Amino acid sequence: MFGFLDRSLRFAAVAALSLGTGGTAAAAGDVEAGGKVFRACAACHAMEPGKHRLGPSLAGVIGRAAGTAEAFRYSKAMEESGVVWTEDALALYLTKPSAFIKGNRMAFPGLRKPDDIADVIAWIKANGGGAAAPPAAAGAAPVPTVAPARAAVAASAPAGGGRYGLGRPAKPEEIALWDIDVRPDGLGLPPGHGTATEGEALWGERCAACHGDFGEAFGRYPALIGGEGTLAREFPEKTIGSYWPYASTVFDYVHRAMPYGDAQSLTADETYALTAFLLASNNLIDQDFVLDAKSLPQLKMPNADGFYIHDTPDFPPYEPCMKDCKKSVEITGRARIIDVTPEGEDNAVSVE
Amino acid sequence: MAKGLGASDQMLGRVVRVTDAAAPAGPSRRQLIAGGGVLAAAAVALGAGPARPQDIGIADHTRHLGTSVDEYPYGVPSPHEAQVIRRSVPWLTATRESSINFTPLHELEGIVTPSGVCFERHHAGAPDIGPAEHRLMIHGLVERPLVLTMAELRRFPPVTRFYFLECAANSGMEWRGAQLNGVQFTHGMIHCVQYAGVPLRTLLEECGVKPAGKWLLAEGADAAAMTRSLPIEKALDDCLVAYTMNGERLRREQGYPLRLVVPGWEGNVWVKWLRRLEIGDQPWYQREETSKYTDLMPDGRARQFSWLMEPKSVIVNPSPQAPLTARGANVLRGFAWTGNGLVKRVDVSLDGGINWTPARLEGPLLPKCLTQFYHDFVWNGEPMLLQSRVIDETGYVQPTYQQLIDIRGVNSVYHNHAIQTWLVNEAGGAENVRVS
Repeated sequence: MFGFLDRSLRFAAVAALSLGTGGTAAAAGDVEAGGKVFRACAACHAMEPGKHRLGPSLAGVIGRAAGTAEAFRYSKAMEESGVVWTEDALALYLTKPSAFIKGNRMAFPGLRKPDDIADVIAWIKANGGGAAAPPAAAGAAPVPTVAPARAAVAASAPAGGGRYGLGRPAKPEEIALWDIDVRPDGLGLPPGHGTATEGEALWGERCAACHGDFGEAFGRYPALIGGEGTLAREFPEKTIGSYWPYASTVFDYVHRAMPYGDAQSLTADETYALTAFLLASNNLIDQDFVLDAKSLPQLKMPNADGFYIHDTPDFPPYEPCMKDCKKSVEITGRARIIDVTPEGEDNAVSVE
Repeated sequence: MAKGLGASDQMLGRVVRVTDAAAPAGPSRRQLIAGGGVLAAAAVALGAGPARPQDIGIADHTRHLGTSVDEYPYGVPSPHEAQVIRRSVPWLTATRESSINFTPLHELEGIVTPSGVCFERHHAGAPDIGPAEHRLMIHGLVERPLVLTMAELRRFPPVTRFYFLECAANSGMEWRGAQLNGVQFTHGMIHCVQYAGVPLRTLLEECGVKPAGKWLLAEGADAAAMTRSLPIEKALDDCLVAYTMNGERLRREQGYPLRLVVPGWEGNVWVKWLRRLEIGDQPWYQREETSKYTDLMPDGRARQFSWLMEPKSVIVNPSPQAPLTARGANVLRGFAWTGNGLVKRVDVSLDGGINWTPARLEGPLLPKCLTQFYHDFVWNGEPMLLQSRVIDETGYVQPTYQQLIDIRGVNSVYHNHAIQTWLVNEAGGAENVRVS
């Protein structure tokens, strides 16, 4: 209920600002006086089309959607304001720029005198700041209330359409940029292909420094090959070949997080090639097996059936013993003998 | 009134200075007291009548002015508490960015962990993200895919909640035997803070989850783009999208400006630097839910999606980093917690589990939170084997190592919640031991 009311109010506010109709103080300005006021603006704003200073060019600003002058880097606040620069909107903005669009970058504190505002708007309008399209006929030019490019945003702005009307719709191209996850069924795999042979040189260049020439790994970096048949042994080796249930995870992770410190730098073809290299190093595919969005989901990893969900407690409730619960207690192991605890100065310097 | 106070301050300052000037030549009283062990001399100089205990004197800080306001615009702990820091085990990980450090549990008391000592676990370092640039995208099987700014997120009705966060690998180095000699290292991958944020349910309702949406993928904005799949039931239950911890914005290393809070579940799913939530009809089987954070059982198969942090407790004082220093009256102190909800009871044993006594639970007692327990005892100087055992509201009793290993073996890495034993020797020192 509240959300609906809130959204309606805000929509009404935006709509009111968009319907500049003249007849206000803004329309009755003195152009000559406005020229003097504009000197304060000229430090940051030019009237020549495309000439941006600290602020954007004001050529054609009246009637333009806020945050849309070409090749100017706006604040997000300005870009997402949904405001259209009608004369009324400009008048409100110039009263206190920081309050009208919160978070915008214009440092100017605002004009205190209503006459100054009316005059400077009149001057801007008379000096190239009017609507870009020439009036079709003599007399009052119809000021576009909503710029076409911003129409969709302004109409629902800034509501995402939910109860609270917060956020904006995520555009398909934005989702595509971030949505990099790949599922075992292949959903999310990009176009492209690669083979182990193609991946070998790249592996040597970008992966082998930590993971070894074949994925055997150095030091405490994770080994990626070998370990077949060790999972039930005393010291299991959990690698891609012995443990990972899905090949899709290799592709996803290599693209998402590798090389360490240069994540998401690999192309789709490179990622397919490196995934193929790792699978071939684990003897799961041939050197020239072509890995792509079609072939990858069809691979069955050796340990695909090695996982299960266990969601009941291992220990059902019981009332534990409180007295004489055992006859004696023996110490069977001591940390001091193993002696791997960091101590002394190491402790002091371990946190920077 | 204010004027009067000012004048009085001036007076005080003058008096102090006069006294200082009147001090005898040679080492000043300030130096004497700072030197320690010379308080007796100070007492003599003061001309005190009857002999008084050596630690009683008129200290410089009682006479001279302390630091001004704004000396520390953001306050820091007392310099005498410099040992209360996170510590790491350098040999554990290959790099310092994909690594972990540990909360100094033995130095903490009460259920709140100070933000600066909450343990860190990153998979590609802690990024520095500006809140104005940060965006949360929610998409997938939803009616209205959305992009939200931090300012917009803060306009949803918030809630404030205390929760513990424990890494699934906490105590993971201890499966095969007592290894690390300090509760910070054996149990320090845990913290408990107060969050403020938006219920995840509110955000999902804002987007309208489609009926086919059964799973949620959470993704971080760090260079590991950390991802985990969560069932939609949990997402709609008690999860939060949090921007505040302990009254201030999240610390950078805890996910600034936005993190997921998944109460009672393993820390890895509490995705930090949260940038994306995707709704799908099945899990994604990401690296952190296949290769990692799965529990290998003795038969060579592995448990998957074992999110729940089971009931666990530990005595933090005494412990190897916090020895007993005196015989006679002493207080044993520890923490208990359970992902199931409330801690119902904590028992402590001083004899390695032969006899048990219920400990005193000190409030607040909150679900999915650290619970502080105390046990007052008299130490006569004899060795002790200290243990604690929690029982939660579901009746789950924290298992012994033997009970746990009988079922899970020693290769599961994660979810070790067995009873810890400290051996306290005649000198009061404590050691991490395993007992029969």
